[in-house]
Amino acid sequence: MDRRSFLAALALLMTGCVPRPSGLSIGSKNFTEQLVLGELLAQYLGQSTSLPIEKRFYLAGSYICHQALLAGRIDMYVEYTGTALVAILKQPPSFDHAAVFNQVKNLYAQRFGLEVLPSLGFENTFAMVMRGNDARRLKLKTLSDVAAVAPQLRLGVGYEFLERPDGYPGLAAKYGLKFAEAPRVMDLGLLYRALQNNQVDMVAGSNTDGLIAALDLVVLEDNLHYFPPYDAVPIVRRQLLERHPEVAAALHRLSGRISVDDMRRMNYAVDGGKKDAAVVVREFLEQARNKNLL
Amino acid sequence: MSDSAIEFINVTYRIGNRALISDLNLAVHRGETLMLLGRSGSGKTTTLKLINRLLEHEEGKVLVDGRSNVEWDAIKLRRHIGFAIQEAGLFPHYTVRQNVALVPRLEGWDGSRIDARVKEVLRLVELPYDQFAERYPKELSGGQRQRVGLARALAADPPILLMDEPFGALDPITRAELQQEFAGLKKKLSKTVVFVTHDVTEALLLGDRIALMDSGTLKGIFTPLEFIRSTDKFVQPYISAFRAGLQILDSGA
Amino acid sequence: MSLPDFFVTHKREVLTLTAEHLWLVGVSMLLAIAIGVPLGILLSRRPAWRSLVLGASNIMQTIPSLALFGLLLPVPWLGSRADRLAILALTMYALLPVIRNTYVGIAGVDAPVREAAIGMGLTQRQLLWQVELPLASSVIIAGIRTATVITVGVATIAAAIGAGGLGEFIFRGLAMVDNNVILAGAIPAALMALSADLLLALVQRSLVRTHH
Repeated sequence: MDRRSFLAALALLMTGCVPRPSGLSIGSKNFTEQLVLGELLAQYLGQSTSLPIEKRFYLAGSYICHQALLAGRIDMYVEYTGTALVAILKQPPSFDHAAVFNQVKNLYAQRFGLEVLPSLGFENTFAMVMRGNDARRLKLKTLSDVAAVAPQLRLGVGYEFLERPDGYPGLAAKYGLKFAEAPRVMDLGLLYRALQNNQVDMVAGSNTDGLIAALDLVVLEDNLHYFPPYDAVPIVRRQLLERHPEVAAALHRLSGRISVDDMRRMNYAVDGGKKDAAVVVREFLEQARNKNLL
Repeated sequence: MSDSAIEFINVTYRIGNRALISDLNLAVHRGETLMLLGRSGSGKTTTLKLINRLLEHEEGKVLVDGRSNVEWDAIKLRRHIGFAIQEAGLFPHYTVRQNVALVPRLEGWDGSRIDARVKEVLRLVELPYDQFAERYPKELSGGQRQRVGLARALAADPPILLMDEPFGALDPITRAELQQEFAGLKKKLSKTVVFVTHDVTEALLLGDRIALMDSGTLKGIFTPLEFIRSTDKFVQPYISAFRAGLQILDSGA
Repeated sequence: MSLPDFFVTHKREVLTLTAEHLWLVGVSMLLAIAIGVPLGILLSRRPAWRSLVLGASNIMQTIPSLALFGLLLPVPWLGSRADRLAILALTMYALLPVIRNTYVGIAGVDAPVREAAIGMGLTQRQLLWQVELPLASSVIIAGIRTATVITVGVATIAAAIGAGGLGEFIFRGLAMVDNNVILAGAIPAALMALSADLLLALVQRSLVRTHH
C-alpha cells in the first residue's frame, strides 16, 4: 500500500468506525432522576418495541452523554433544554419554553444530526422551596409575593447557586429580594434537613427533588421567568429513528406523560425509600397502564 | 596514466584545522598490491577511505580508473571496489551465504549465477560451502569471519580491492595462516589491491610495493627489497624491529 | 452477585467496552508507529534534531493524562469529538518510547557493520531496510511494547472525557459504589495490558534470535 492511501486509511480510522451492537443503547447521567428516566426509556421502549435494550448509565455529565451520542455509543438520553442550550450549544440563555425548545431542536438537527423530541412533561429547574405551612399562612404563591416578606425570612443555598451569576445574585436583583441576613451556605444534601428543622425558612433546591412531595413543601412560582427552562426532552440519533420508526412513535406517546409530581415521587422512592430505580419505574408504568395513560 | 588504477594528486584532507593527509601524491599500478604502512595516526586508513569516498577530500584529485572519483556515482564506485575491514563487519542477521552474496544480489545477478559465485569464492578462502554457508557470523571464529569478509569483498569480482588491516585483530598463528593464503590467492586473482597495515612483516610478505606514511605524508615508496636495504630515517625504526625475522623471510622467499 | 456471575450477565457490555478500548489503543498505536518510527530514523540521520524531537516528546509525556485531555478540549475539530481527542492524546503518550527506541536501535548498529555496508556500496535506503531496521527491530519492538502498555492504561482515563472504553465501567462503579462494576472495567484492562506485553515480548524474543 503506498504512503498516501495508508495515511488516508488512518485518518478514516480516526473518524470512529467501530462496529456497534444492534438494538437500542440508552444513556443517562449519574444522578437519581437521570437513572429513573433512563430506566423509564429502557423499560417502555423494551415493551413497546421488540428491540434488545442496552443500558449505559452513570455517564458523568452532559458533555460525556453528548459525546457518546455523537459517537453512536448510545442512541438516546434525556437532557434538559436549558442545559442543552447553554452548555452544549453555547447559546445565550433565554426564557420562553417554546422558543428554547425550538432553538434547541433546530440547532441539534443542524449541527449534530440529532433529533430532539417533545418534553416528557416536566422540567427540572431551580426551585425556591418553603415549608407548606408558612407558604399557606403568609399566602405566598409566587416569588414576587415573597419580596414583601423577605426581610422576615432566612435563605439556605448550596455553594454553586450562591456563586453563579444566574443563581442567587440575579434572582435577588430580579425580584428585589432582601433577606434578613446573608444566605446560609451549606452542602446540597443538608438543605432540606435545615428547612425541616427550622434553621432556614427557604432553600434553593431542584423542583423535582423527592423530598418536596414527602415533606409537604411548596415551590414558589418563578412568575417573572428568571430561571431558563429546563424541560426534560429525549435526544435521539436520527439513524436510529430512521431504522426503527416504532421507536419514534413510542417516544411520542411518552411525551407529556410524566408530571413534576410523578418525578418527585419516583425520585423520593429511590433516594428516600431506598428502592431500586428499575422497580420504581416498573410500578410507575404499571399504574400508568392501568389508568390507560400509556 | 591508464596504468594507474588509482592515483592521488595533491590531495589534502582536513578535519577542522588539522590536516590528516597533506599534499599526497601517489599512483597505484594496475594489478599490483600496494601496502600502506605506517603507525597509528599516520593517515594510512584515511588514505584508503578517500579512495572509495567513505571520506570526501576537498583539495586535490583522487582518480580511479583514470576518472576523478567525485565524477563517479558513489554507489557505483563502491561496488566497483571490494572492501574488507579489520572487524569484518559481517551482517549478524545474514548467514555466511547471504553475506557473501550481498553485492551480486544488489547488482541484480540472477540466482544461479550468485549461487555459483558464492561457492567459488568460499572455496577460494578455504571455507567449505556445505559446512559454512548456512552459519551465522556469531558461530564463526575470528579467522573464519575474516575469510568470509574477504570472500564478500571478492564476490562481485571487483578489479580493485581495499583492505584495512583485515588480519589485525587475529591471533598471531591465524594471522600468519591468512597472510600465507592471501599471498597465494593474490597470485591467482589479478586485482589491484591497496592494503593498510602497521605490521612490517605483512607488508614485506604481501606487498609488491610498500608506501610508507608518517604524520599524514608519504615518506617513500619501496619494493620489499629496497625497503629492507633502505637507510631512510623513517624506514630504520621498522627494520630495527624486524631484524630477527629477516632470516625467516630470506629462507621463505 | 459474585464477580464471575456479573461477567456472565453483563457479557455483552463487557465485550462492547473492550472493543472500544481496543480500538482506542489500536488506532493510537498505529499512528504512534507511523509517526514515531520515521522520526526515529530521521534522528539517526540528523543528530542536530535529536534534542528538539526527544525533548518535545518527553514534555508531552510529562503532562498528566487528565490534564492533557483538558488542555485539548477547546481545540477545534479535535475537541468536538472525545474519541478523536483521546486518540490524539494517546498517540502523544506513545510517541516517546517509539521514537527513542527506534533511534537508539539504529544508532546501536555496530559501527563496523555500518562501515562495511556503506563501503560495499549500499544506498542509504538499502542500508536502512536491509541492515539498520532488521538489526534494530527487537529494540524497536521493545519501544512499541512499552508504548502499548502505557496506552492501554491511559485509555482507561479517556472515559472521563467521554471517549468510552473500559474506563467507563470504572467510573460508573465509583459513582455506584459497586465493586463488581469497577472490576468489570479494571480486570479486562489489566488483562489487555498484560497480554499485549506478553505477545510483544514473544515477538521481541523471536527477532533477537534471528538477528543477532
